[in-house]
Amino acid sequence: MTGARELFEWMVVARTLGTTLCTLNVRWFPAEGEEAVHVGSFVDLRSDDAAAPHYRDPFVVYLMRGAELWRLVAQVLGKSAGYNKGRSVGFNGPFHLGVVPWVAGDLGTTIGTATGAALAFKHQRSDRVCVCSFGDGTANRGDFHENINLAAVWRLPIVYVCQNNGWAISQRASSYLPAPVAARAASYGIPGRTVDGQDVEAVRAVVAEAVGRARRGEGPTLVDALTYRRRGHWAGHIVSDADRAGVVERADPIDVLRGRLLERGVTTEAELGQIHERVEAEVQAAVERATAAADVGDAELGLDDVFA
Amino acid sequence: MSIDAPVKAPPESRRLTHMEAVVEAIAVEMRRDERVFLIGQDIGPFGGSMQGARGLYEEFGPERVLEAPISESAMVGSAVGAALFACRPIVEVSFGEFLPAAMNQLINQAPNLHYMTGGAARVPVVIRTRVGDGPYGGHPQDYVSWFAHIPGLKVVVPATPADAKGLMIAAIRDDNPVLFVEPMSLSHARRGEVPSGGYVVAIGSASLARPGRDVTLVVWGSTLPLALQAAATLSREEVEVEVIDLRSLAPWDAPTVVDSVRRTRRLVIAHETWVTGSFGAEVAATVAGSSPRIELLAPIKRVGAAPIPIPSGPLRAHALPTSAQIAAAVRAALQD
Repeated sequence: MTGARELFEWMVVARTLGTTLCTLNVRWFPAEGEEAVHVGSFVDLRSDDAAAPHYRDPFVVYLMRGAELWRLVAQVLGKSAGYNKGRSVGFNGPFHLGVVPWVAGDLGTTIGTATGAALAFKHQRSDRVCVCSFGDGTANRGDFHENINLAAVWRLPIVYVCQNNGWAISQRASSYLPAPVAARAASYGIPGRTVDGQDVEAVRAVVAEAVGRARRGEGPTLVDALTYRRRGHWAGHIVSDADRAGVVERADPIDVLRGRLLERGVTTEAELGQIHERVEAEVQAAVERATAAADVGDAELGLDDVFA
Repeated sequence: MSIDAPVKAPPESRRLTHMEAVVEAIAVEMRRDERVFLIGQDIGPFGGSMQGARGLYEEFGPERVLEAPISESAMVGSAVGAALFACRPIVEVSFGEFLPAAMNQLINQAPNLHYMTGGAARVPVVIRTRVGDGPYGGHPQDYVSWFAHIPGLKVVVPATPADAKGLMIAAIRDDNPVLFVEPMSLSHARRGEVPSGGYVVAIGSASLARPGRDVTLVVWGSTLPLALQAAATLSREEVEVEVIDLRSLAPWDAPTVVDSVRRTRRLVIAHETWVTGSFGAEVAATVAGSSPRIELLAPIKRVGAAPIPIPSGPLRAHALPTSAQIAAAVRAALQD
C-alpha cells in the first residue's frame, strides 16, 4: 500500500507538472489546490480497474497508473509522441492503462462511458471497479443524473467523485448549486459522503470504503470532495480578488500533508525538500524530451484510422 | 458424440418479417457470443417496442436483456463504455425521435473514441432504432441522414428481412459503432426469405434490387417497396428502371451507384426523409462530381417528404413520398 510519503510525492508531482504545463500551454486547465482529490481518489485502484478522472489536469492519475511523463507533456504540446498521436485534447488519457478516454469537451459524457466500464465489469462477473470524478459544474449535466440513477438501479461497481472546487469557469457555485452535491445521493438510494478535499488521506479513506462496497457488488457511492481552485479555469484565466470575494479559501493540500508528516516524525524538512528537487528535475527532463520530439504533419492525420 | 436428443437440421431459410429477422439475428449472436447483451426500454417480458425483442428475455434472462430507465444518454453512454471494456452491447433507442436525447454520446463520443485514442480503443456497439411512418403512427420523424455526416459512425438501413438479419449480424460483429435503423413501415410488412444461421451482409454494400437500362433509381429503407412498385408500373410503359437499395449510408457503395448511372445516364433519388441536406444530396453530388465525367441526359431528380415536420394522423399521407411521385420523377428524368 502506498504510504503517506508517496501520497505527498504524487501531489508534488501533480503541482510541479501542472505549474510547468501552465507555462507551456495557456489553455491548460490547472488543478492547483485540487491535487488531493486526484491522488486520493485514484491512488488505490488496481491496474485492472478503470479510472475516469476529471479533465482538470488529471496527469497525476495517469502517472500513478504507469504513464510516461514525457509522453504526457508531448500530448499537451500536440506532438505525435503523445498517447493519442497528436489527435486529441491534451488531457485524454492512455486507454491501454484503463483510463476512460476524453475525446470531446462535452462535459458529463465521460460519466456515461465510465458507468459503461462498470457495466462491463459486472457483465464479466469480475470484481473490477471504476472510479469516475468530475467537477461541480459538470454535476448539473443530465448525464450526472441519468447515469447515477442507472448505476443505482443496476448496482454497478462504480464510485462517483465530485471534485467540488466551487467554480464553473467564471460562475460561482451559488449560481448553479442550490444544495450540497452529496445530498443528491439520497434521491438515488445510494450513500452520499462529503469529505475534505484538501486532506488526501481523508479522500483516500472515503473512496476506499466506497470502492470496497463496489467490489462487493453493493453498488455505487457518490462522494463530494470539497476543494479549492487556486487559479483560473485555464492557465491564462485570471480570477480577481473581487471575483473571489466571499469564497472560502481552503488550505493547500500539500501543506496539510507536509505538516502531518513532520508532526508524525516520519520524515524531515530536508527529505521533503529532496522530493521537490527530484520531481522538479524529472519534470524538466520530460519537458526537454517532449519539446525535442517531432511536430505533427499531414502524415499524422491517420485517414485510415477512423474505423477499427 | 453427443447422446442428447437428435438435432434437427435447421431449414435453409424461412419466411420472416423484418422484425422477426432482426430478433433472430440478435438471438443468433447472443447464443454464440457471451459478450453480446441488449439494453433498452420494455425489452423484458413485454417483448419490446413493436415486439422488437420478442423471446429474447425468455431465452437470455435479465442479465443479458437489461431494461433501463428512460435515459437515452446514459443507455447509449453506458453501452459505449461497456464496448470500450470488451463487451459488445446492443442498445435500443426505441424510436429515432429519441436519438437527439443521446446526441453527445452518438456524435461526440462513440465515433471519435477509436481515432482520438490513437487507435487504442475499439467501440463495438450497435445502436438500434426505428424511424419513419409505421403501423401505429407514432414517432415518424426521420433524422437518419444526420448521422452519415460523422466520421467514425456506420449507418445501416435494411429494407428487406434478409438484409435486416444480415446487417444486424454484421453490425454486432463490427468493431465500430453502428447505427442500425429499422424503417417502421417495413417492420411487420411482407415476409421474405431469410437464410438461417449466421448470415452476414457486408456493411457498405448496396443491393441491386431490380436491374434496368433506362434510369437509375437510388433508394433506401422504407422507400424500396415504393420504388419497386413504381418500376413495375413503368415497365408496363416500356421504361426499365434500375433500382439500387443503398442498405448502408455510412460507408456507402458509391461505385455501384456511379457504375449504374454511367450506363443509364439518368438518376432519380427517393427517400422518406426530407430532401434538404439528406443523404440523397451526397449521392447526387458524388455522381455529378465523378471522374471521368458522366454526361447526364437529364437533371438529377430527388423525391422526399414535404419540407414540414411530419404530421400526425391522416395528414401524414399527404406529406410522405408515394410510388406515383417516384414514377412521375422517373418520367420527368426521361423527358428532360
